[in-house]
Amino acid sequence: MEKKLKKLLQNATRVAPKISKKGELFELRNGLVSPYPQTRKDAIKKTIQQMTLGKDVSSLFPDILKNIAASDVEQKKLVYLYVMNYAETHPELCILAVNTFVSDAQDSNPLVRCMAIRTMSMIRVDKILEYVEIPLRKTLQDDNPYVRKTAVICVAKLFALNKELCQELGVLEDLVSALEDSNPMVVANTIAALSDIYEADPTVVPLPLLIQKHVSQFLLALNECTEWARIIILGALAEYSARDALEAEQIIDRVTPHLQHVNAAVVLATVKVVIKNLPLIQVNSESAIFSKISSALVSLMSTPPEMQYVALRNIRIILQKYPQLLTRELRIFYVKFNDPLYLKLEKIDILVRLVDPSNLKQCTLLLAELKEYALEFEPEFVARAIIALSQLGVKYSEIKFVRKVLDILVELCKTRDSFQDDCLVAMCNLLRHAGTGEEEMITQVCSLAQVWGSVESVLQTDYAKCNYIWLIGQFPGQFDNLQRKIQTLLDSFTQEESLTQMSLLICVVKLHTMLPGSILQELLNLATTSTNEVDVRDMAIMYWRCLSLEGSNDDLINQLCNSTLPEISNTLDTFSPSLLETLLRELSLLSSIYYRPVATMTKFNAHKSNHVKGKQLDELKFMARDEIIRNMNEDNLLDFEDDSNSAINVGATNGSTLNDLNDLFDFATEPIQEQSKSEQPLEESLHDLTLNRTDQSHSNVNPNKSRELLDLF
Amino acid sequence: MASSIYFCDTKGKTILSRRYRDDVPASAIERFPALLLEAEHESSIIPPCLTHNDVQYLFVQHNDIYVLTMSRSLSVNVAQIFSFLYKLIAVLEEYVKTVEEESIRDNFVIIYELLDEMLDYGIPQITETKMLKQYITQKSFKLIKSAKKSKNVVRPPSQLTKSVSWRPEGIVYKKNEAFLDVVESINMLISANGQVLRSEILGKVRVKSHLSGMPDLKLGLNDKGIFSSDNSADKPGESTGKRANIELEDLKFHQCVRLSKFENEKIITFIPPDGDFELMNYRLSLPIKPLIWCDAKIQVHSQSRIEIHCRAKAQIKKKSTANSVEILIPVPEDADSPKFRYSHGSLKYVPEKNAILWKIKSFTGGKEYSFAAQLGLPSMSDVDVPKVKRPIQVKFQIPYFTTSGIQVRYLKVHEPKLQYQSYPWVRYITESGDDYTIRTA
Repeated sequence: MEKKLKKLLQNATRVAPKISKKGELFELRNGLVSPYPQTRKDAIKKTIQQMTLGKDVSSLFPDILKNIAASDVEQKKLVYLYVMNYAETHPELCILAVNTFVSDAQDSNPLVRCMAIRTMSMIRVDKILEYVEIPLRKTLQDDNPYVRKTAVICVAKLFALNKELCQELGVLEDLVSALEDSNPMVVANTIAALSDIYEADPTVVPLPLLIQKHVSQFLLALNECTEWARIIILGALAEYSARDALEAEQIIDRVTPHLQHVNAAVVLATVKVVIKNLPLIQVNSESAIFSKISSALVSLMSTPPEMQYVALRNIRIILQKYPQLLTRELRIFYVKFNDPLYLKLEKIDILVRLVDPSNLKQCTLLLAELKEYALEFEPEFVARAIIALSQLGVKYSEIKFVRKVLDILVELCKTRDSFQDDCLVAMCNLLRHAGTGEEEMITQVCSLAQVWGSVESVLQTDYAKCNYIWLIGQFPGQFDNLQRKIQTLLDSFTQEESLTQMSLLICVVKLHTMLPGSILQELLNLATTSTNEVDVRDMAIMYWRCLSLEGSNDDLINQLCNSTLPEISNTLDTFSPSLLETLLRELSLLSSIYYRPVATMTKFNAHKSNHVKGKQLDELKFMARDEIIRNMNEDNLLDFEDDSNSAINVGATNGSTLNDLNDLFDFATEPIQEQSKSEQPLEESLHDLTLNRTDQSHSNVNPNKSRELLDLF
Repeated sequence: MASSIYFCDTKGKTILSRRYRDDVPASAIERFPALLLEAEHESSIIPPCLTHNDVQYLFVQHNDIYVLTMSRSLSVNVAQIFSFLYKLIAVLEEYVKTVEEESIRDNFVIIYELLDEMLDYGIPQITETKMLKQYITQKSFKLIKSAKKSKNVVRPPSQLTKSVSWRPEGIVYKKNEAFLDVVESINMLISANGQVLRSEILGKVRVKSHLSGMPDLKLGLNDKGIFSSDNSADKPGESTGKRANIELEDLKFHQCVRLSKFENEKIITFIPPDGDFELMNYRLSLPIKPLIWCDAKIQVHSQSRIEIHCRAKAQIKKKSTANSVEILIPVPEDADSPKFRYSHGSLKYVPEKNAILWKIKSFTGGKEYSFAAQLGLPSMSDVDVPKVKRPIQVKFQIPYFTTSGIQVRYLKVHEPKLQYQSYPWVRYITESGDDYTIRTA
């Protein structure tokens, strides 16, 4: 109240502009050394406020520090807050406080002991770390569990700051023995600390062995601790592989009650433990455990959107392993109109995966629902719904149903102008699935594409154009003005992207008997001389050679062009078995959200830390950048330290390789499935020809290769 | 494990931050606004996790702020982080009422303190507000009266690390009471032709406990699974009660409930935290008929006018009444000059929502009301603008009634030391969930 009043008065009376910065600091300093405790406390608060606003108040450090010895815990907290904030940027100043830290670590109040040890282990100055040993040892053995739970984390902090010292002091042994602690919260924090150390350096603590030794203890502690401790303990249990079916069953029995915890993260951690142990025990698909998991997963759908997102991404992984799990819960995953967009897209994805392809009623229901989505207005959502329609059609597979889907798509294509790209792709996928026998469907699609004057104005994406050309190449009889259509495509050839260029090449070679020779000649010329895409050029050269071969070239070309393609039976992308297993082990971790196992990251991290010890690469990068800027100002660009110079190089090369690989990977996961289909004609012809291609390793052309890459990841 | 927590404003600029580890450089946050902008620029899909330069940005939005954590590792438990961020917001709400930019700026000291207590080195620690309030006693601005300053020094309560970490000892009330609120929210999706596409009941039991000492509570419900632990529940004919026992799905309990006891014996027992808390929630996806049925015929005569005929009916028992019923019917953005004819409630045009809002204060069961509206449309219209399809939204509250039929059979309070008499109170409410919608044709 008092403060409110003060603020009110201040707001009401302030007319002149604020006093200058210097004056403010001066005033604060005066307050900090005031003889009145309340004034000092207020001054500390004001200082911290300035700090929060991002102003540099480090010059007040000595004055603030004078107030640390107070008996008032609140004030002490404030001082510690200040000290912790500057511990990183001004470590040298913290040395001034070391005596207070040491004495506070023996204070009678556990809160003060904690604060002291917590702060001490955060300051990156060797001098302070030297003093840490005794207080840390003492607090690790403290009577109060609240202090012990803080102390065990301090070991991890110390390890991160100075690994050698930490090993020298032998506190790691103390940490390991803390696993035996009677208090579950201490145990949980110990596990967290140990996993942290293990992640940084697996050689110093035998974490898997330790978990194995303490499994029964963890199971006991599970029922008696806070939700966060439960998550940590469950996480540790998920790392443990049960010896036999009996033990696995026991673990499952002990953790399943936690599927009903209100905290979604506890639920997900429990699901992870259960899934880890499921393969060991004999279960049929009707088993109660599946319905328990299923209802736990369903309940995650009434959590906040971010949580739902995590759940959905994980469900996608779990579903591939246990496809029957949620088939009865289709409606839960229906999109709500106020869901955020990222959630809606995930939900559509899950819906198509979830639906039982042997259940006509369910498929029809979903079809109606997806149709409804396709009439919405958010473009990304509609596009996804259209693709989902074709995926559903292919999944259910029965021809009557596919026809129904196609009717919907044709209707959509006519009414929704901006989604012709997606509609065309979806329809072509259906045609690829239905095979060449479905005259009616083919006519339907082709007559639609037939009336499009210029493709440029209708289709935007490379992928859609490529599908359009495939359509022409596959069913040339359905199109009038074939020659003109191809000529227009040819005219814009150089502006197109590689996918379109290649499909045009295939199409024209295939139809070369129906088209005047000049078109073929022009295209081959263009493709060999005016494109930067190596693949397109190589392909053109290859075709050119085949066409100009003497003698049996007709056979060869016929073989090349008229090979029938297998019908596509699945348009949903899947994980490779090894990737799936890894992802199942990493459920609820960030890696499972990106579908990128942790190992892909740590490889690079390890690589980095070899180069630059202690400091982070980024920091060095920033330092180097600042340095460059400074140097530029001094017109002395070339004169900066060798050290940071090499750091930039390392950073740059590392960064770029990483990015390249990331790009490659991103590319490989998403569009490759679809691509592989569109590339199939190409693949086929390649195999038929058994020509030696030099650029086979290029992932753009060779889906198999990229899939191998994917496996690698 | 989180490396840091940031509170950022709508543009992504930092308001307050706490760093727990230095593996993520302090400068990384400066990228956040740009990252958000980039993601927005690319498409409208902005997932709650972004990556830049190997730094993971995980965030939730709340009012006008972003609460953000950063991490460098892919092995961080995202579920835990999001769950924690929401818990953090909930705890802050109890300290400063609404968590928004202004309240954070006003209460930075207490927030720093809380952040230090709730998260250590990025590992979540204690998030139970009742306990935190015992030893984090800084005055916050929104609190009208701060906790009575005791002269003795603040110490962490000893229960903090014990198995009952949510309740301090020595609570005394003159009158020992426990209030139970059974609240059911109905989510329903109805197609334009009146077919129920999806319906679910999200129920929760909220408890307000004013009980002394360390009471042990036992709650009895008319749930199949809970009430009869033997297998007789499988045979529906055997239920002898006047009302058939119902079966709740996806029960979720507050951490005070002994989960293993529930798993084995199907009994809900717990030592409650003091004051308000949510004891349990559940979900039921049984098909239900719309409680408030609503049918709107919307006729668009393009370039001249739009006509809406709407009927609504309360399909509940004659004795029950639905309160504060609100029906929001979307109209095109360029509609104007509304004309209404209606018999009940109040009807108004809400241009900022592009909708007509029909409010009926009390809607008795079995009654049917209707209205007709006409709005003008501009004679010139932009053809390219896609027609936005929005559903009709319905909101209501029905007291003394649960859709699922769940009932509290008993609430037994047992305090081993004090042995007092206590009074449980039970209230039932059914209301609309946040997704009670009817699609328009």
